[in-house]
Amino acid sequence: MSAGDGAGVRRDTAPGPAPAPTDVDLATADWRRMHPITPALRGWKTLAVVVAVGWYQLGDHLHDAEGLVQGGRWLIAVGAVAAIVLVASAYATLAWRVTRFAVTDDAVHLNTGVLFRQHRQARLDRLQAVDVVQPLLARLVGLAELKLDVAGGAGANVTLSYLRESDALALRAELLALAAGLRRPAAPAAAPEPAGVVPPAPAHAVVPGGAVSGSTTPGTAAAHPVRPAFEEAPEREVYEVPMPRLIGASLRSAGAVMIAVFLVVAVVVTVLSRDVGAAFAFLPALFGGVGAFWSRINQGASFRAAISPDGIRLRHGLTEARTQTVPPGRVQAIRLTQGLWWRGRDWWRVEMNVAGYGQGADVQRETVLHPVATRAEAMTALWLVLPDLGVGDPATVVDAALSGRDGDGGFTPAPRRARWVDPIGWRRRGVLVTDRALLTRSGRLRRQVEVVPHERTQSLGLQQGPIQRRLRLATFLVHSTPGPVRPSVWHLDEHAAAALLDEQAERARTARAVATPEQWMRAVSDGGS
Amino acid sequence: MTAEPFTPTDVTWTPVSRRLVGARLTVAACVLGPLFVGLVVVAALTAPGVWAAPAVVALVAAWLCWLVPRQVRAMAYAERADDLLVRRGIMFRRLVVVPYGRMQYVDVNAGPLARRFGIASVQLHTASPATTAEIDGLPPEEAARLRDRLASRGEARLAGL
Repeated sequence: MSAGDGAGVRRDTAPGPAPAPTDVDLATADWRRMHPITPALRGWKTLAVVVAVGWYQLGDHLHDAEGLVQGGRWLIAVGAVAAIVLVASAYATLAWRVTRFAVTDDAVHLNTGVLFRQHRQARLDRLQAVDVVQPLLARLVGLAELKLDVAGGAGANVTLSYLRESDALALRAELLALAAGLRRPAAPAAAPEPAGVVPPAPAHAVVPGGAVSGSTTPGTAAAHPVRPAFEEAPEREVYEVPMPRLIGASLRSAGAVMIAVFLVVAVVVTVLSRDVGAAFAFLPALFGGVGAFWSRINQGASFRAAISPDGIRLRHGLTEARTQTVPPGRVQAIRLTQGLWWRGRDWWRVEMNVAGYGQGADVQRETVLHPVATRAEAMTALWLVLPDLGVGDPATVVDAALSGRDGDGGFTPAPRRARWVDPIGWRRRGVLVTDRALLTRSGRLRRQVEVVPHERTQSLGLQQGPIQRRLRLATFLVHSTPGPVRPSVWHLDEHAAAALLDEQAERARTARAVATPEQWMRAVSDGGS
Repeated sequence: MTAEPFTPTDVTWTPVSRRLVGARLTVAACVLGPLFVGLVVVAALTAPGVWAAPAVVALVAAWLCWLVPRQVRAMAYAERADDLLVRRGIMFRRLVVVPYGRMQYVDVNAGPLARRFGIASVQLHTASPATTAEIDGLPPEEAARLRDRLASRGEARLAGL
């Protein structure tokens, strides 16, 4: 269906040959530095904190401060601050000097640390996603941060910050092409080197004609650093979230309702007690609500999704702009949810599990595939991840999953006796297995649908508590990578669940055998050699 | 599928070592023993009504003596051609199926007490934190064999994420 799904022959279950790069590789590799103003960009937060703390301290001891100014000791204070700033900037500059990265054919290497040196290597064949993040300040000066997500836990990601925006984009194209299994072109591209970003590495004793890695890549012979001419893969936009809908949806969220309730309560209390001070007690809760509301708007603003041969492209963010690229086959599972307030408009929130995301502080903003989707867009989002649902009539099946109940659309529902343990939602509980994926359905009030492609199943589980046992029910679980989606089907008939467990293990195995290779362009370029 | 959903009949289940019962009861005794003695002393020194406390502890101990062997009996694993099955629990029953190709790494643990009892535990990790496939109470040689076997099978069937 899509140009990018590359459902080709899997030539080999083992990942591509990626031997640990030898010292020679790394010595001849083209080591680059971050943009010189990185320390300033990173340091301003620290500075702001120091100033804020100082201000508070000053506020607490205003009299002392006055004494300070009058006694002429303020010179000492200013001197101390200046000294701290000087030392900090010296350290930051030093840190910037030792922070260097290099891209070889197999991996990205990042050296950091002044006292404790760290060499981090992200293998490109394990690349799960590439993000270009632009916080507000970096955006103003035209810089960007490149984040490589590899599935190795929260601390395993490689973050290159900050690079010139154009360099970040070029580097992203290069990394995605290499990760896809393409090779560097034979003729060195004579792209002009942007000054400043790529100073020749100190120990850059490159033998002219020396290849970077292996004999198959003569192209990287370089008298000076080479920027391979990897074009950005073409993309086609599939959906965009209009701002009015985003605001409308945010207004219908639980956070907005909370804000309204607190506002009303605050006003009532103020009027009754005739004391404005009472209203201030509600301020923290109000700020919390407003903060949640704002982050929803901020993250979802100008949300656009596109499809390209390199996978799904997501762009979003009002203050902090974020561009995510998730290569084909990297989405482990997706979930569509609809709160009670969204039902009237039939809006859905689509989230996904990607192995590199799902840990750390940015889970909320990284794992959204669509913040507010209409039903048609939800279907499109599902199609982005799973171009072929494996059923004859996907629309009917998705409709049945989103709003159906009992046996609609061929779902295996929870049996009637499940009402004893789940009186409200039992009719919505159900599971459907297609040729390509497993769909689970649940939630009467807050509707929820989870989809896991068979080849992305990690492991499977079956659980049964004492009451379920009495009722001959069991819960079926699909274990996915960390993230918002944790697929499960509660209260199935125990034999149906056990049979599902058995069949699903088998299906996952066969699906893995024919899945798109990790290096997704290999299926196309090598023709399955 | 047979009448028993948690024990498919077409696989051969390997129970864990009975020595695990001893190990678990020893741990329980280390906690409950001093507690019991302390409470008895307190009861002897104070009102007779306090004797209820050590009685409760004794009851818990008796209950554990009954429960732990049953729990251990319920723990088993089975190696199939392409995946490993791990089963546990009586009241709350759990069955986990881990495909070999999905394993990221295998942990073998043996604390001092476990070593004294001659057992070790093997834990399988996939890319999903939800995979709770821990086999406790394996004889060390069996644990080593299982580890090597899982590692080699995992290698043969290695897939991406």
